[in-house]
Formats: sequence, structure tokens, C-alpha cells
Amino acid sequence: MEEKKLTERESLELITTMINRTRERYIGDGNIMLMWGYLSVVVAALVWIMLVKTHNPVWNWLWFAIGVVGGIATPIMSKKSELKSGAKSYSDKITSQIWTVVGISALVATLFCFVFSFMGMHNVWRMMFAFALIIVPMAEMAQGIVVKEKSFIFGGAVGLCIGIFAVCCIAADMPLGANWFLPMYMIAFACMMIIPGHVINHKARQQR
Amino acid sequence: MKELDPILHSQLRLAVMSILMNVEEADFVYLKEKTESTAGNLSVQLDKLSTAGYITVTKGFAGKKTRTTCQVTELGRKAFEQYVEALKSYLNL
Repeated sequence: MEEKKLTERESLELITTMINRTRERYIGDGNIMLMWGYLSVVVAALVWIMLVKTHNPVWNWLWFAIGVVGGIATPIMSKKSELKSGAKSYSDKITSQIWTVVGISALVATLFCFVFSFMGMHNVWRMMFAFALIIVPMAEMAQGIVVKEKSFIFGGAVGLCIGIFAVCCIAADMPLGANWFLPMYMIAFACMMIIPGHVINHKARQQR
Repeated sequence: MKELDPILHSQLRLAVMSILMNVEEADFVYLKEKTESTAGNLSVQLDKLSTAGYITVTKGFAGKKTRTTCQVTELGRKAFEQYVEALKSYLNL
């Protein structure tokens, strides 16, 4: 593009062209979602297998691997993704803020669970399942609405249904049995993170 | 009739501002690619927009490479909106 004076009509056309070019932007990658999805499913499977084999609840400590590994990997991966796209849109900003709120809420929820647990109320940790299957799907659906991505909305809806069911079980004092609840948890995360992650990566490959 | 802002009424500067109005921030490589301009020319025009206070230019590092990111300022946003209004009045839109 050369530096030249424009007529009024050319100016308007140029503005329109540039707006359209910013819309043709890099769709992003689904790698962060895939990381969270596979991490959650693998950890849930490990906990399930170990609980069934050993009947020792100490294996529940493995759940913390999700927060630790995901919490470290996410900022590194999102920085890489931002550099690849070259621009940060308003929807990127909103999406990032939504997930920051989810992250902070997860930390606060964990802290409360620890406090209750130290007071002998170990059942409180069931609340983290409700958290993971209510707050996360809601955030994902909000992201889907912002970025107009249907797989986020549908995946989030499946997760939310399982989450509402989990809350009902907790409210009804029904134990969340490892043999039926953990597979449901894995299905929820596969629908919420793994499938949309692959959909986004497929769309990004097509865009290239 | 309103006068067209001379800072914005030039092809590359207007292209850059149109992009920056639609994103939160953009880096030099992205702007160069979208405006199909040369690095030298883009650099000069970014300096002019920055001097006018229409954009902020931040130089940082992405690994070992330098990375320049640009963001439109509130002054730039207002100037762009006024420029579009002036264009509309010129074209009787």
C-alpha cells in the first residue's frame, strides 16, 4: 500500500475493506481446550481406576493435578496463541476475562473446601464437581455466544445438564458413586472441551 | 462542512486506524500483512499516528524477537469517528 491522498469515496471504501480484513482473522486454536479436556478426562479415569482397585480415598488428591497442570500450561499456551494471531480482538478480551473469573472462582471454591474439610466436613469436595459442571459450561456457552461458535454452546449445554443433575444429587444427599458419576464427568468434559477443541482446530486448518 | 483530518486522510494511516478501531491491539506484522505495506512505510506512518496521539506503540519481546504492538487511544477513537462523520457529510450519506 502506497502513501497517497484519497478521495472521500476511496476513504470510505478503504475503511470497509480494512474492517472486512480484520474479520477474516485467524480463528485461533483449540489446543487450550484440548489440554483441559484431555487432562480432566485422564485424571478422572485415573481416579476412577484407583478408587475401584484400592478403595482408598487418598487417590482423590489426584484431582489437584488438573488445577496445577492446567493453571501452569494455560498462560504459556495462550501467549503463544496470541503471538500467532498477531491481534487481540474485543471478543478475545471478553473470552479471556470470562475464563479469568472462572479460574479465580475455582481458587476461592478450593480454599473454602479446604476450610470445611479441616473442620471435618469432607463431603464438601463434592461441591467441586458441581462447580466444574456448572461454572465451566456456563463460561463456555458465554464464550460460544461471544465468538459465535455452536460447538461451544452445544458442548456447554451437555456439561450443564450433567452439572444440574450433579447438583440435584448433592441436594438430595445422594452419593456420587465413582462407577456412574465419573464416567458422566468424563463425558461432560469430552463434550465441553475435547469435541469443541477438535472442531476449532479443524476450522483453523481449513482457514489456512 | 467539516474539514477532513489530514492525519487520517491518507491511505496507509487510514488503513491502520480502521484496523485498530476493530481490534483491542495489533502487532506490527499483523498490520503489515493486512495493509499490504512495506515495513519502512508502515513504521513511518505509525510514528506519525503516535506523534498525533492517535495510537500508542509498545515495544516488547516475544521470546528473543522484538514485538511492536499498537493500540488506538481515546483521542484516536474520537478523531476517527469525527473523520467518518465528515466523510458522510461530504458524500451526503
